[in-house]
Amino acid sequence: MRNCNWQGPMAQWLSRHWSRRTGGPAAELVNQPSNIGEAAGLLEGVKVLDLTHYLAGPYCTKLLSSLGAEVVKVERPGGDPMRRFGPLVSTMTLRQAEVQTRDSSDPDDGNDAGAWFLYLNTSKKSLTLDLKSDKGRDIARQLAASSDIVVENFAPGAMNKLGLGYEELRKTNPALVMTSISNYGQTGPYRDWKATEINLYAAGGLMNITGEPDMPPLKEGAPLAQLGAGQVAFAATMGALMYAEETGEGQHIDVSIAEYATNILENALMQYSYSGIEFTRVGNRGYGRAAWGIYPCQDGYVGIIAGPDTRWPAVAEIMEREELADPRFESRNGRMINADEVDALMLPWLLDHDKVDIFKAGQDRGLGFAYVATMQDILDMEQLNARDYFVELGDPDQGGLMYPGAPMKLFINGDGDRSLSPRPGKGQVGWVYRSAPSLGQHTEETLSGRLGINESEISGLRSLGVLG
Amino acid sequence: MTPKGVPSNTQARMPLRNYRILDLSRIWAGPYCTKLLADMGAEVVKLESLSVYDSHRGPVNPAPGIAAYPDSDPGERPWNRNGWFNCLHMSKYGISLEITGEEGKRVFDQLVSVSDVLVENFRQGSLARLGYDYETLRRLRPDLIYVSMPAFGNNGPWQKYVAYGIGQEQLSGMAHMTGYPDEGPMKSGINHGDPITGAHAAGVVLAALRWRRRTGKGMFIDVSQQESAVALIGGEVLAYQITGEEPKRQGNHSPHFAPHNAYQCAGDDRWVTISVATDAQWRALAGIAGGTSLSEDARFATAAGRLENQEELDQLISRWTAGKDAYAVSHQLQQAGVPSSPVMHGPDLLEDPHYRDRGTFVSVNHEQVGPKMYPGTPFRMSATQGEVRWAAPALGQHNRLVYGDLLGLDDEEIDGLEERGVIGTKPTGSRII
Repeated sequence: MRNCNWQGPMAQWLSRHWSRRTGGPAAELVNQPSNIGEAAGLLEGVKVLDLTHYLAGPYCTKLLSSLGAEVVKVERPGGDPMRRFGPLVSTMTLRQAEVQTRDSSDPDDGNDAGAWFLYLNTSKKSLTLDLKSDKGRDIARQLAASSDIVVENFAPGAMNKLGLGYEELRKTNPALVMTSISNYGQTGPYRDWKATEINLYAAGGLMNITGEPDMPPLKEGAPLAQLGAGQVAFAATMGALMYAEETGEGQHIDVSIAEYATNILENALMQYSYSGIEFTRVGNRGYGRAAWGIYPCQDGYVGIIAGPDTRWPAVAEIMEREELADPRFESRNGRMINADEVDALMLPWLLDHDKVDIFKAGQDRGLGFAYVATMQDILDMEQLNARDYFVELGDPDQGGLMYPGAPMKLFINGDGDRSLSPRPGKGQVGWVYRSAPSLGQHTEETLSGRLGINESEISGLRSLGVLG
Repeated sequence: MTPKGVPSNTQARMPLRNYRILDLSRIWAGPYCTKLLADMGAEVVKLESLSVYDSHRGPVNPAPGIAAYPDSDPGERPWNRNGWFNCLHMSKYGISLEITGEEGKRVFDQLVSVSDVLVENFRQGSLARLGYDYETLRRLRPDLIYVSMPAFGNNGPWQKYVAYGIGQEQLSGMAHMTGYPDEGPMKSGINHGDPITGAHAAGVVLAALRWRRRTGKGMFIDVSQQESAVALIGGEVLAYQITGEEPKRQGNHSPHFAPHNAYQCAGDDRWVTISVATDAQWRALAGIAGGTSLSEDARFATAAGRLENQEELDQLISRWTAGKDAYAVSHQLQQAGVPSSPVMHGPDLLEDPHYRDRGTFVSVNHEQVGPKMYPGTPFRMSATQGEVRWAAPALGQHNRLVYGDLLGLDDEEIDGLEERGVIGTKPTGSRII
């Protein structure tokens, strides 16, 4: 985190945020709540060998490490390429360019990290290892022998070529769960197809249905196919771990990112399967509805979600337009038929009001209004802050950052905790958050602690280039 | 406990065969969580009210012609024939129960006492208003794992607010960064917030079950669907803090690579995606699409040059793809190592040789629908392959099985519950969002 340049409105926001906290900012925040005993996280004691890079694999292992599993991330010399990327954020490209002009042998390179790398690799340990060398592969095999889980997202077949395939690893560790995440899966005609996120959206059917009908199909801004595949890989890995611990039998899990995308098409696929009628792009008029999507407002964009029908009259009240209470608009179908008219009646009021006020006006009447949150809006969101969502990591003097924290909150039924109703201040119980490691930060620790390799052997490996 | 016509050992080698999930969740976020658990063999008992059943079943009296029904025909019992519902509840047991009255509550108490996990995504506080807060549930089942997933979690100023998947796309920041350049934010083609929360919850429930196995202790899992969705744009939240700049809507372009877009092909609304991440991929693409004049053009030789001149690149590539078959373009480019895929439509997906080979979509015969194709499980497991074991249940289809085999009620008792409207198979109302 040393090279974060601190600019813009965030410094102000952060100082305000920190000053609210007692005890000041912590460089590393690890929750060790008394009500889950000695354990820092739910998966304390689970050992994961993490051979992932970029997005999909690292999100799977981030969920494991955030729950307290010991995740040893094996990085190639030079590190996970993601360290040098800030995908989808154009301004990050400038930083990337800076990094790339440096001498690649500069040992400090491992401390430069793009935003997504930092986010996806919290609470992991970094071990630099050259898997192209025999010694490097040997170390990986030894670590796999004493791990519960191996996760990898190399191209299919690469693990076998390295001698690290599932059949090889299970010989010494029959209870091992190995999870492989790849573009199209470990089998099938497209197994070796190359892809980035846009190709996977397209092949997974999500892209065809996103965007305006008279415009090209559109990808989503965030890499949701890859991260979503990481999520279901996490769930399957947990299921297989449960089974392995009960039976002693491990297994190999195959997750395809494109296939994951096809799994979440819901009605967009079922409609065709059931009736032969293709689902197509509908822009912001989602699912054949009007007043059910994104509209401009005074300071940005809001989501007008006009359902259920029984609550439609409230929309007319909120927007102070009696015409909206016209019986022609009372039903979902009626609003759709008259969509342009409905929009024209709503717009003047929307353009005269702010997003958060519109959101609350709807919510106060039981309507599921929303607003299009910017990154600033997310950091400022009263609900997220009331629930201690963000976790602060890194040294604030050098530009610490607020990270989205636990995706759900755990209230553990322990002996020492008699007050189990949800309340603020317990945002991350059972979860563990530490800054992403610098490249090779835990190389010595892992080799000596896990494999008993002594100091002189380590320097020998280092001089051979095995450790980067 | 096995439904009629299903082999009794179907769960025997599945990872979650020893766990029972009492599933009160509706629509998509909760049901996707329990779908993933059912895919791995958990015994998921989906409980619906006859008056407020899962709105994914659609209205009691839908207008004719809605494509979510087989051949757009709602049929006599449309609530059992809706594809939205039927794709999310395969391999689950379907029961109905009114838990507003004393009799229903007694049955519900029994169901809780024999369940490992309870999942609900009602509006915050709804289950507690029916008399079932976590403390009460714990008395019925001391080591219960109770997963409550209201839109914004169970505390804080917005706890009573509601949101659907479409709203979560907006409130999580996803919509903010999705859209055509210089235009407004755009929703995705699905309600993307929902499956994200479902998948997070499925994995965390399993971590909680493992914790329980080691400690004997259950827990309350408080899910804010919004927090769960923000977790998937986390890198952008950090990037903004580093640069002070909001992410831009860039259509199909990438901030790092070019070309990177969807290009029009022959046919009605047919497109192919091409993304070039390395110089070698560019040379391969240029050689195929433009010959030496393009591959030797110095303006495009580097990533920076391609980014700077990407509008021109897009035009050049569009001219090349125009009139070509999208699949043929992808096959040709993949042969040369260039990332490319057709923008697949529904029919493409079901007929695609790759997905057929992998069994991505499965044919399932629903009694009231007939055989249709459904998305299968999003993972392959070598030792315990999850599979679709039976079709989504009709409303109350497994009442006799669950109340009889599982709770041990005799036929007379079950008949009584049915006569008094505590259970049943016909809706008494529906509330559709």
